[in-house]
Amino acid sequence: MEMDQRIDPLFRPLTKDNQAAQVITRPSLSNWQQVIRKLVKNKLAMLGLFIILFLVVMALIGPLLVPYSHSDQSLLDRNKEISAEHWFGTDELGRDMFARTWSGARISLTIGVVAALIDLVIGVTVGGIAGYMSGRGKKGDRIDNLIMRVIEILYGLPYLLVVILLMVVMEPGILTIIIALSATGWVGMARLVRGQILQLKNQEFIMAAQVLGAKFSRILLKHLIPNTFGVIIVNLTFTIPSAIFAESFLSFLGLGVQAPAASWGTMTNDAMGVILTGDWWRLFFPGLMISLTMFAFNVFGDGLQDALDPRLRD
Amino acid sequence: MKEHLLSIENLKVNFKTYGGEVQAVRGVTFHVEKGETVAIVGESGCGKSVTAQAIMGLIPNPPGRIVDGKVVFEGTEISKLPKKELLGIRGTQIGMVFQDPMTALNPTMKVGAQIVEGFVRSQKVSREEAKKRAIEMLRLVGIPDPEQRVDQYPHQFSGGMRQRVVIAIALACNPKLVIADEPTTALDVTIQAQILDLLKQLQEEQELAVVIITHDLGVVAEIAHRMVVMYAGMVVETGTVEEVFANPRHPYTWGLMRSLPRLDESEKQRLIPIEGAPPDLFNPPVGCAFAARCDFAMEICKQQMPPTKTFDKGHEAACWLHDERAPRIDELVAAGRQD
Amino acid sequence: MSNYLLKRVLMMFLTLWIIVTLTFSLMHAIPGNPFASESDQLPEQILANLRAKYHLDEPLPVQYFMYLKNLVSLDLGPSIKSDSRNVNDMIADGFSASAWLGGQAIVIALIFGVLFGIIAALNRNRALDYIAMALAVLGVAVPSFILAPLLINYLAIKLPLFPVATWGTWMHTVLPSLALAFGPIAIITRYMRASMIEVMNQNYIRTAEAKGIPTVLIVIKHGIRNAILPVVTFLGPLIASLITGTFVVEKIFAIPGIGKYFVDGIFNRDYPVILGTTIFYSAILIVTIFLIDIAYSLIDPRIRLTKKEG
Repeated sequence: MEMDQRIDPLFRPLTKDNQAAQVITRPSLSNWQQVIRKLVKNKLAMLGLFIILFLVVMALIGPLLVPYSHSDQSLLDRNKEISAEHWFGTDELGRDMFARTWSGARISLTIGVVAALIDLVIGVTVGGIAGYMSGRGKKGDRIDNLIMRVIEILYGLPYLLVVILLMVVMEPGILTIIIALSATGWVGMARLVRGQILQLKNQEFIMAAQVLGAKFSRILLKHLIPNTFGVIIVNLTFTIPSAIFAESFLSFLGLGVQAPAASWGTMTNDAMGVILTGDWWRLFFPGLMISLTMFAFNVFGDGLQDALDPRLRD
Repeated sequence: MKEHLLSIENLKVNFKTYGGEVQAVRGVTFHVEKGETVAIVGESGCGKSVTAQAIMGLIPNPPGRIVDGKVVFEGTEISKLPKKELLGIRGTQIGMVFQDPMTALNPTMKVGAQIVEGFVRSQKVSREEAKKRAIEMLRLVGIPDPEQRVDQYPHQFSGGMRQRVVIAIALACNPKLVIADEPTTALDVTIQAQILDLLKQLQEEQELAVVIITHDLGVVAEIAHRMVVMYAGMVVETGTVEEVFANPRHPYTWGLMRSLPRLDESEKQRLIPIEGAPPDLFNPPVGCAFAARCDFAMEICKQQMPPTKTFDKGHEAACWLHDERAPRIDELVAAGRQD
Repeated sequence: MSNYLLKRVLMMFLTLWIIVTLTFSLMHAIPGNPFASESDQLPEQILANLRAKYHLDEPLPVQYFMYLKNLVSLDLGPSIKSDSRNVNDMIADGFSASAWLGGQAIVIALIFGVLFGIIAALNRNRALDYIAMALAVLGVAVPSFILAPLLINYLAIKLPLFPVATWGTWMHTVLPSLALAFGPIAIITRYMRASMIEVMNQNYIRTAEAKGIPTVLIVIKHGIRNAILPVVTFLGPLIASLITGTFVVEKIFAIPGIGKYFVDGIFNRDYPVILGTTIFYSAILIVTIFLIDIAYSLIDPRIRLTKKEG
């Protein structure tokens, strides 16, 4: 079309810029970046993470900061309040509470983390197999069903009750406690993992990948596992405090680690005898540590869960 | 001038999000008369649903708010009404039909109770009368066996039936205007036809005014008297359905009409989409929002918003092409129609 | 429907049987024996008699079947440590205290948990929400065996508002119930809040708004009604944790309940007591969960009605 020179310059036609029309003005972030960004913005969750790291660091170096060991008795210094020599006070055998608290941290945290990790390994394996097998022919379905039955039955047993019974039977010690805790603790993780895999298997993007010719192993690696990862990690951040709680509970009933080793649970138990005499520091420090641990893992786990929830994306 | 039943004047609605404020509706003006059906058409994200919700003040605040403009219903500016009076209008004067029938009903409440919930509040009737009314409404919208159905729960109804229930809810208090937000989008084509027929019939019987939001031009042709074409939060063209279909005057409308598959075209004919994507409403362009995708864009289109020009029979369009300084519109229109 | 019921009942008995067998095997796998502490003091003949009395000299499978047989007639056997006391009697004895404690705790937990959850959800991201969530986090973080001494210290000793321990009047029940309910309140609050938020985002809430229903009514009739359903499903695990919570609380407050017998039994290696109370607790738990499931399927019309037709 010929353009007359009379035409107002403002009204000259433009060549259409297709590229400009397609520009997306907001940068899109990769999946994990979005998750981490969201997590970091959650101040409460970051506080939780900080506390966890603090506790771990103190568990490592705490006992080294004072000249006493957790078992050094000093009958002269019994039940002393907090002071410059004993930052957390002493117990009824004159043992330094600061050293005991942080060596107790080592034990409690180790038990909690190891038990949770064992739960994870067993749970992911069992749940993964069940989820994978489901729908793969009659044999596969039968395996899945069998696993499901076992999980259902174990799930119906009251967890702490079973743990207590196991500890009554076995000789108390760190190893046996860990075994007792993970004996039935993996069931929750297995259920979650299986559920997640089943859900993912049916999603359209898996079918799309198959249609596009991807082999199942590739689908497993690139799609199923990364998506299950989130669920696994979140569950882990909740099983650790639950294991630590269970250990404290056991110790409270006298089934925990034995003297002179101490976990926060045994220290709390020991403190029961003196609540009426006003030696507040005996209960305060182990109690505070247990509470902080539970708090930190729970808020961090919550934050993680929120960050991974696709529905809450902005 | 006779007062319009509903008049939207320069409505602007913003939403606060983590990335800033989105200008979802940027100055929308149109009106609805008693007994007529007006269709609001546009692609996803053009602001039509937001406009519809804003009419009854259903925009959740936060994060949304009306920043300018007004909604006038029967002479009253309802956009400024206090909540209590607004509640009095909702349901009784203006009813709303939502998009997804599967989730629009409370799953734990009997259908009959949901239909007359608003009715009972405004009329203060006894339970028997309310139930009678519910049965009446079910019959009105064409649900068989209403005496049985009235005590059932939503999950016992199919998708199309549920949408009829939703319509019954909207009509329970005999409103003067019904806003239907994509009422047939989630339904099969055959059910869609039934629902549209129902709406037409109800409109004739009760002199109901209907505002129907849709992205489907077929629905517009089927049921609407007038249509409002929206793009990127603004109205680009308004007019009677016959006029706009026969004589579209905005490049976006041209694009819409052109992209429809036609029965009289050969199968080998490729479909013609409108290239590109709508602009980002965090930072809407200063000039015409369609300029980036428009085949006929001019320098001025990028710099200034086009004014709305009125043609006869109430046909309006907002485009710089209609300015006298623009190149001859007939040639462009003819060229546009032939592509 | 009855098909489903039958399956559930069978599952119940199966689980119970597994617990019995498991507990039995564990008890008798212990190297020690319940008379270990007395074996220095009593002559061999008396020990042998004692063992015979409790059938401890018979082969294991025999003991097992005898136990099962007794179980069916609901006889849990005599306690080994507390002579002349039947485990049945001990349970009956402690039952009222434990039941009261547990029951009151659940009621407190439900009322406050649901209330706080609703308040938090309706005031999302504002002050009330943060307070409710802070309480919820505390409830999860501070275990009952730490909370209990604190309560005693501040509310019974420093400020003598409540009795320090033991059981007797209603005032005695307040602190223990609170200690027990704190954790569950936290959990219910979180669940209720999440459920309420999800429900209030549903489309049928928009429909109700469009009808001109005032917000308060929408919250009650459409919001809470739907939001509370998922919380019911959670009651089962909650009761389980409540039961284990009673061990601790009864011990600290010296309440004469079943938990006390259980804990003492563990300490004394009194097998019949341990076995009996474990079975009792498990039975209660399993039956309660079963009843809750039934109740849920009756409350939710989607399940109730499709079951009937299906």
